[in-house]
Amino acid sequence: MLDHSFTGMGFISVGLMGVVLLVILLPIVYRGAQAYIFTETIEHRRFQNEKFQRGDAQELAEEYRAVKAARLPVYEAIEKFEAKKREWPKDKKREFRSELKAVKKALHHLLGPAPGEKTPVLMRQQFGQTRWDRAQVKLHEVLYREDWVEDPTGQTKELVQVFVPRVDLFKGTELEPMFEYTEKNVELMLRPKLTFYWQFLIDRSYDAHFFGGIGPEVRGTLLLTLGAIVFAIPFGIIAAIYLCEYAKPSKTVHVLRSCINTLAGVPSIVFGLFGLAFFLNTLKLTESKSVLAGSMTLSLMILPTIIRASEEAIMAVPFAYKEASMGLGAGKWRTICKVILPAALPGILTGIVLSMGRAAGETAPIIFTAAVSVGDKLPLTEAFFAPSQALPWNIYNLCSEHEAVDSIRHVQYGMVFTLIAMVLLLNMLAIVFRARLHSKTKGV
Amino acid sequence: MSTQKLTKDFIFDNKKTHLSFKDFSVYYGDFQAVKGVSGAFPEKTVTAIIGPSGCGKSTLLRSINRMNDLIPVCHTSGSMIYEGLDIYGERMDVVKLRQRIGMVFQKPNAFPKSIFDNIAYGPRLMGIKNKAELNEIVEKSLTQAAIWDEVKDRLHKNALGMSGGQQQRLCLARALAVEPDILLMDEPTSALDPKATAKIEDLICELKEKYTIVIVTHNMQQAARISDLTAFMYEGNMVEFDTTDKIFTNPSMKQTEEYITGRFG
Amino acid sequence: MNNQIDQKLTMSQRKIKMEKFINFCGEKFLLCITALSLITLLFIFFFIIKDALPFFQDQGFKEFFTSTHWYPSAAEPEYGAVSIFYGTFMVTLGSAVFAVPLGITAAVCLSDVLPFKLRQFVKPIIELLAAIPSVAYGFFALVILAPLMQNHGGLLLSSMIWLIMVPTAGIILYVGYFSLPDKILHKKPLALSLGLVGIAIAFFIIKAIADKLYGIQIDSGTNTLNVSLILGIMALPTIVSVAEDAVQACGRELREGSYALGATRAETMVKTIIPAASGGIMAAIILGVMRAVGETMVVWMASGNTGRIPEPWYNVLSPVRTMTASIAGDMGEAARNTNRYHVLFALALTLLVLTFVINLISQYVVNRQRKKLGK
Repeated sequence: MLDHSFTGMGFISVGLMGVVLLVILLPIVYRGAQAYIFTETIEHRRFQNEKFQRGDAQELAEEYRAVKAARLPVYEAIEKFEAKKREWPKDKKREFRSELKAVKKALHHLLGPAPGEKTPVLMRQQFGQTRWDRAQVKLHEVLYREDWVEDPTGQTKELVQVFVPRVDLFKGTELEPMFEYTEKNVELMLRPKLTFYWQFLIDRSYDAHFFGGIGPEVRGTLLLTLGAIVFAIPFGIIAAIYLCEYAKPSKTVHVLRSCINTLAGVPSIVFGLFGLAFFLNTLKLTESKSVLAGSMTLSLMILPTIIRASEEAIMAVPFAYKEASMGLGAGKWRTICKVILPAALPGILTGIVLSMGRAAGETAPIIFTAAVSVGDKLPLTEAFFAPSQALPWNIYNLCSEHEAVDSIRHVQYGMVFTLIAMVLLLNMLAIVFRARLHSKTKGV
Repeated sequence: MSTQKLTKDFIFDNKKTHLSFKDFSVYYGDFQAVKGVSGAFPEKTVTAIIGPSGCGKSTLLRSINRMNDLIPVCHTSGSMIYEGLDIYGERMDVVKLRQRIGMVFQKPNAFPKSIFDNIAYGPRLMGIKNKAELNEIVEKSLTQAAIWDEVKDRLHKNALGMSGGQQQRLCLARALAVEPDILLMDEPTSALDPKATAKIEDLICELKEKYTIVIVTHNMQQAARISDLTAFMYEGNMVEFDTTDKIFTNPSMKQTEEYITGRFG
Repeated sequence: MNNQIDQKLTMSQRKIKMEKFINFCGEKFLLCITALSLITLLFIFFFIIKDALPFFQDQGFKEFFTSTHWYPSAAEPEYGAVSIFYGTFMVTLGSAVFAVPLGITAAVCLSDVLPFKLRQFVKPIIELLAAIPSVAYGFFALVILAPLMQNHGGLLLSSMIWLIMVPTAGIILYVGYFSLPDKILHKKPLALSLGLVGIAIAFFIIKAIADKLYGIQIDSGTNTLNVSLILGIMALPTIVSVAEDAVQACGRELREGSYALGATRAETMVKTIIPAASGGIMAAIILGVMRAVGETMVVWMASGNTGRIPEPWYNVLSPVRTMTASIAGDMGEAARNTNRYHVLFALALTLLVLTFVINLISQYVVNRQRKKLGK
């Protein structure tokens, strides 16, 4: 009877964990994938053509001409309205001035600069909405004015958000038909098309991530991870060999082991501070933050993981292999290099790959040692000695410190999705290695 | 070659003594696993060491090529003479020694490498890199171990894909590839089925033409079938060491008789 | 025959010496590389202390450890870190409240109760939870969970209560029903009506709590509750895997011994296995908690970063500020070699010592457990 309740508790706890995982992963995957697969507008194609020379310029020009034609009535209506407005009395003019300004601004957001307008400096003002989902939001802004009024039902004293159709505000003026026209013809004006923008992964970003992809961030993360792993692997494996094969149980070894455990428990932010104080302020490895300092800090952080994983893998090698090798007259070092390490390799690789995942996802150690939010693209040789963008840091940066957090949600989700995908891919790789370990010992 | 005087000296078929030991003891820390035993293994014969579990027979066997060195707390006393040299002498080159005194273990312990690499492991250690030469050694060893026909088409497949009996013969071939003088076998058939056991036993009988073989077994029928000499050990002591015929038909010690007739062990 | 093979069995005196020397050097070299972790640890302590010391020299210990006024950037800076310690404490405690019961239950059930097939599915879940980077958790907390809490806080809280309480109540009722005295249990109608009454009471209790929570309006989505929840999730994999190892390490003999005495599975677990594995389970909790103490990104992004002790002190719906988040957030603004810079190192030192002590305790517990099982 108690047994049943235990089983029940087991199912509940496991179920809860599954639910938690789904709740976290699903929105990130769903919205993250939309950074790659989404409905683009003509503005996105224009941007792509202008900055990356992608797509057929001729075709695009033709399409854009058609789009311009579709947009023309909107601007004509505004012109007509403005012409009419000049004849109005002063107070009526004033009444409409701010309203018109708001409409024009919303239209600019939706479609980009009006014909004949001077090319704006900020890139986000040079183009209209590149994504159809964002365009829908902006279209709503064109059609409705957001107002905060007292709750008409009188239930609460707080202000309630209401949307006032702008068409009502301009009733009876030249501008009135424009709203209906825009609503009906927005597809013609923006030409939405489903697209797979895989270049998101490699493109550089423009204008604070309003446009483009996350190429530099991905590259920075890869460099940092690679650097960390290159530093950590030799030390980690050699330490594991020593602890497994050479060390006799003594005080020194006990202390070393407990140091490794302690190191594994040091908070990542403390590693970051240490990296700053040691690699940058004391050793002066580089002038400022750099990938080198960052990856060294990361490598110290993942060292215990690699040591432990390698140790476990080496311990798991059957004693019989060692016996056989020694029995054939191999020395200790030879036995380790030729028999034990190859047999332990899948296990060691599993540990390495998992700690790569950890290094790729860590943020705290690189905040002060390597990460910047904007940087130049440098050749590989210089990149190690310069600071770099990195996915984890830029995720933080974009969703906590960006000037227009809400407008670039897709980029944030895309980054998180990419980072998680990278880490999970590494984990898959670890599973593959583990499977190979299985098949190797079974001789399939 | 040995000039050691044995407590119980005997000459078997007029063969010269290949390896001898006198007052030889092995300790694991404080525990004395082998208690001052003496004896000799004549050339090109099969000597079986029998006895109940824990009697020290494996320990004695493993100390012949110093495999016990792998256990940190293990140390020895007395002498173990091979080619006129004390195996535990300070100047002994353990690596060379182990190449000359090969070993086959209780469980098949093929490396997780290809069959070819398994066999070539020893020769490569000795610095043979020439591909043709390695091919020749591999073929010869596998033929000697009577497994060449079974594996010649899959030399580069993982050795762990073979059956237990095949793996054990592979381990034998691997030991033969370095051309040892003495072959030590630590219960080589205990993990195998009767058919594979029979194959290994046949092999041992063939191999004794060329090698001195010392085999530890807890299977008395096996000892009676394949060995020329038999040593019976009990609680670290060598109770009796004589020709197999004598041990199994007319043992001189009471303990030996009791063990052989199955009253203990 | 074997011409290439050197037949000589002995080595010259010189070769022996050479070999000994090489072996000695090799081993020492390996030792040196292994000692890198020791060196790193010492260096970490040294450099953190080095930069923390000027602060203590200048300001002393009293203010830092007793005052709650944290205004390091004010014209007359104040460096009272108590509210920050309290924030860390609260967040950690909160995460433990979520993670420990769930984690331990999951671990025990995983190793002993659940069918093997299900376990194959659960392992990847735990691995995935462990693999997700902390910044992704932080993103979830800030971008998804925080607005949800702010806009639908009452709904979220009450549905959480339903989700947790209903199964718990179910189990309690189930156990309670069958532990009724036999006399009552044999009279079916009476027993059943008692059961129904129990269900009704449980329902009304849960409903009352849920309704009360439903009325709560959460002012800020970035608060202790949010962070604790996420930290709890992050600590889960550590707790589950370490505790499961500990439970598994108890071995078959113990279980079979208990079964042989006629104990049921539940009795075996509660009376034999959990006490035997208590050391390991303790270590699991400590390690899980340590992950929560040292976590930076989640708390930085989603704790609200308000350096005040909440009013009232147990209010989990108000924003807090933790040590890690203070370091991460303020370092960018602190000029080098100012008090503001050094005080962050002082915080880091406190954090480091804290985790060091916790770690030593956990190692002690694990070693004791190992000895207990290994005897």
